[in-house]
Amino acid sequence: MKVLVVDDEQPARARLRQLLDDEESYEYVGEAGNGKDAVLLSAELRPDIVLLDIRMPGLDGIETAHHLNMQDNPPAIVFTTAYDEYAIDAFDARAIGYVLKPVRRAKLTAALEQASRLAPSTLISVASQANMSVARKHVCSRSQTELKLIPVTEISCFRADQKYVTVYHDSGQDLIDDSLRALVDEFSDDFVRIHRSALVAVARIDRIEKTDDGKSRVVLRDKSQVDDEELIISRRHLAEVRRRLKGV
Amino acid sequence: MIAANDPDNESTQAYLPDFCAASTLFIIVLVAELIAIMLTLASHDAEHQFLIELSETSFFVLWIALLGTALMCQLTSYLEAAGQTRAFVMSFVVLELTCLVVAESAWQLTRIFGQSLIIEDAHTKFLLRTMAINSIVMALAMRYLYISSEWRRSIVLEAQARISALQALIRPHFLFNSMNTIASLTRTDPRRAEEAIEDLSDLLRANLGNATNRSSLKQELETAAIYQRIEKLRLGDRLNVRWDVAALPMRARIPSLTIQPLLENAIYHGIELLPDGGEVTVTGTRDGDHLEITISNPVPIGEKRNTGGNKMAMSNIRQRFELAYGSKGSVNIDDAGDRFTVSLRFPLDEGEDEE
Repeated sequence: MKVLVVDDEQPARARLRQLLDDEESYEYVGEAGNGKDAVLLSAELRPDIVLLDIRMPGLDGIETAHHLNMQDNPPAIVFTTAYDEYAIDAFDARAIGYVLKPVRRAKLTAALEQASRLAPSTLISVASQANMSVARKHVCSRSQTELKLIPVTEISCFRADQKYVTVYHDSGQDLIDDSLRALVDEFSDDFVRIHRSALVAVARIDRIEKTDDGKSRVVLRDKSQVDDEELIISRRHLAEVRRRLKGV
Repeated sequence: MIAANDPDNESTQAYLPDFCAASTLFIIVLVAELIAIMLTLASHDAEHQFLIELSETSFFVLWIALLGTALMCQLTSYLEAAGQTRAFVMSFVVLELTCLVVAESAWQLTRIFGQSLIIEDAHTKFLLRTMAINSIVMALAMRYLYISSEWRRSIVLEAQARISALQALIRPHFLFNSMNTIASLTRTDPRRAEEAIEDLSDLLRANLGNATNRSSLKQELETAAIYQRIEKLRLGDRLNVRWDVAALPMRARIPSLTIQPLLENAIYHGIELLPDGGEVTVTGTRDGDHLEITISNPVPIGEKRNTGGNKMAMSNIRQRFELAYGSKGSVNIDDAGDRFTVSLRFPLDEGEDEE
């Protein structure tokens, strides 16, 4: 069994490595100091299990787990934490594997043996119980060769085609695997749906203008990114878009 | 008392006694009778009229006392909500008015039903005399209530400070992470593991000391430095602390466990949340007979801040500062922009040091 170790603190990673090196049935394959590196490294090393610290700067443990889940054949996850009563309650309630720091050898092997994959819905309920942000701060895009994490703050628009969702962001556009429906639910705080297949960042909308044929269209602050045709507001969503723009 | 333990809700502490309680009523009747006896003793002209005069005076004084008590019983919750000074001023006004009404009624009744032993003066003179006596008695009563309420308040504050001191104890998060670091170092770097255990022990010892006491600035800064050393093992290059405290007299007294918890806050809510870490600055300045210590840390931008734990640590230090310095000390927070800054200002007290 290949194990990837993720923790922002070097001594904590070293400790897990020491313990794993003593075990015959588990193989330490690498370590990452933050969530982003963890996602990239996991795609490359294909570990069976990821030991994942909950409290990390940038991508926290729960969000990292979300992104790990989106990989083909995702790894099982065991969380590690020093002390986080809400998260621990949430893990206990859902039988999610975790180990407490300082890590005890017997506890670690028991958790590794029971490690299982986590459904996204489980992660969302854990995040809300643990007072962590439920919405991800990044979305993840994959091509054959590379894996990209796009900060949600840099995204102006999600647009759904037949099969994929395209993300328009500050440094270009990418395809992601998420369904628009799930994105609507997850990012409802900062994004508004303008028609059946497009979701626009409220903060990026400059104004609403009338087209020559009497329709309404969203004008983005940064106009270059999205086709004007794509930004026509459907009649069903117009009232909601107006309301969100007023910030009510 | 339960409400008084809530730091955000200090105003709910009672300034006035419970006028609706039977025990309060009993004391008021007793005091009213004593005043009646006093007044009669002072004014009666012939032996044989004493009891009659006393009964009339009692009758009059009791009316004022009981009517006043009944009014206060109804008004207490409203007056308490107005704050201490206003509560006292308004009670005073209410009771003066009660007295005026009773005196006026007594005068009118006497006019209708004939003479009385205690009402001989002209109308205005009688009213003024009654009001003057009432004012003096009320002033004494208010002073007494004020002192006893201050006394209760100081007891509550002291209790809060004790609780706060317990809460100031090191976060479990820090303790377990440190233990984990030490467990890791025992194999890779036994010497540093040893140092870390020594540092952790010193820190725990400082935390287990009587935290309601004051200690010297020197001790406080040492405790904070030890704390920094332990965190540095764990966070590595991400943690930098700049100490700029040369201007502070090291013998100065300060409530113990103030700087270390603030440094802990700065790390827990700031440095730990930043992927590349940052620099905490601790700056001390002297301004005449006041000292100011400012602790500032970078915070992640644009993230919803979870300030729950932070608030507790801050209100805790506020309470202990209030107990130690009253209005002479202050704790200010500035969380605008990408830094979180706490400033402690307190009078210089170089007390006889044991060192």
